Amino acid sequence: MSSATPSPVPSSAHGHHKRHSILPAVSQSGPKPPVQFSSSCTIADSALLTGPHTIIVSTESVIHPRARLESLGGRVTVGRRCIVHERACLGAADLQGRYHKGSPDKEGRSMGAVTLGDYVTVEVGAQVESGGTVIGEGTTVGIGTRVGAGAVVGKHCTLTANSTVAAGEVIPDYTVIYSNGLRRIDKRGVSDLKNKAQARQIDVLRRMIPSNPGKFQ
Amino acid sequence: MSRRPPRGEYIETDTGNKVARKATLVGTQNIMLGGKTVIQPDVMIRGDLARTIPPAQSASGGPANNTAVAIGRYCFLSRGCCLRPPGRMYKGVFTFMPLRLGDHVFVGPGTVVQAAQIGNHVHIGGKVVIGEFAIIKDYVKVLDGSVVPPNMVIPSFSIVAGQPARIIGEIPEGGIEAFELRDLYKTVGNNPQPTAP
Repeated sequence: MSSATPSPVPSSAHGHHKRHSILPAVSQSGPKPPVQFSSSCTIADSALLTGPHTIIVSTESVIHPRARLESLGGRVTVGRRCIVHERACLGAADLQGRYHKGSPDKEGRSMGAVTLGDYVTVEVGAQVESGGTVIGEGTTVGIGTRVGAGAVVGKHCTLTANSTVAAGEVIPDYTVIYSNGLRRIDKRGVSDLKNKAQARQIDVLRRMIPSNPGKFQ
Repeated sequence: MSRRPPRGEYIETDTGNKVARKATLVGTQNIMLGGKTVIQPDVMIRGDLARTIPPAQSASGGPANNTAVAIGRYCFLSRGCCLRPPGRMYKGVFTFMPLRLGDHVFVGPGTVVQAAQIGNHVHIGGKVVIGEFAIIKDYVKVLDGSVVPPNMVIPSFSIVAGQPARIIGEIPEGGIEAFELRDLYKTVGNNPQPTAP
């Protein structure tokens, strides 16, 4: 039996122009949010931004295609040099489908729905619920992780894949959440190296992902 | 008045690949399908995260064959799964390495695969996370909900489960036929054949 030669994925049968992606249109449900984008951030064309509140994306952050930023519960702030992978959702509803609004902090200002520090990585399919949730600087939110409403995750934490942080929980700095809810403290002291590696990754991603911030402004 | 045939859910190519119209394939020029592969709706394949070859080394002008994701024959990607190439620091630069799937690989629904290489006849369950640069050899069964940590190597004929994934068993002698995906390929598509009794 002859071996089949690998074939690239076909473009449309009727079109003659070469199509580079098959991206089915996702209807933009919900209001178009007011946005504040830094000039150097990278927002993929098919990222999904909805909600009435402001969405802020800071310097050199990267939003992959099909990432969702929902500001239905409040303002969403993404720090500097963050990476939000595809199908991640910032400002998600909780499991019952409610969007929490953050309770005001000590000075009486209202907390945004989701606040990401600098150098945070939110991986594929992670759900960060709205409601005053804070992710500290340098933290990695793993694949499929769910961070509950109002949780405060410390700096340089690692939440491995499919882990859960309960609503309102406070995670100390440098914690690693692994296996089925086990915790330990990360004593490697590699925070600076991880930040530098993240900056290098962002350099490469900025050239690979075509950015279209004008679509959302 | 001309009547076009109704648009099916799948696009069928001449090599027999069945790609759903609602699948999200980014960077399709870097995705290689082996033939007779099924891609169900809501699958996401990141072909745009390809290795960036330095211009001095590319032989035939430009990244003509810069494969990000290479998939073998008779593979089955179920709904909602996500394939993305793994990336790491290599010689001071962050690069993505190609993701290679062998033949007869079944990827369950909601699974995220970031492995470097998956062998032939592998069955991956639903909601599995395969970490970056993992290597899965041939005839492996990964049970539902497992989390395979990055850089793990899973030897042939093993059954793997848990979070983090551990080898919990071996494929028995008679269990090899269960990995064949030819029958499953026929049940999907615009003209599905019913499963043989």
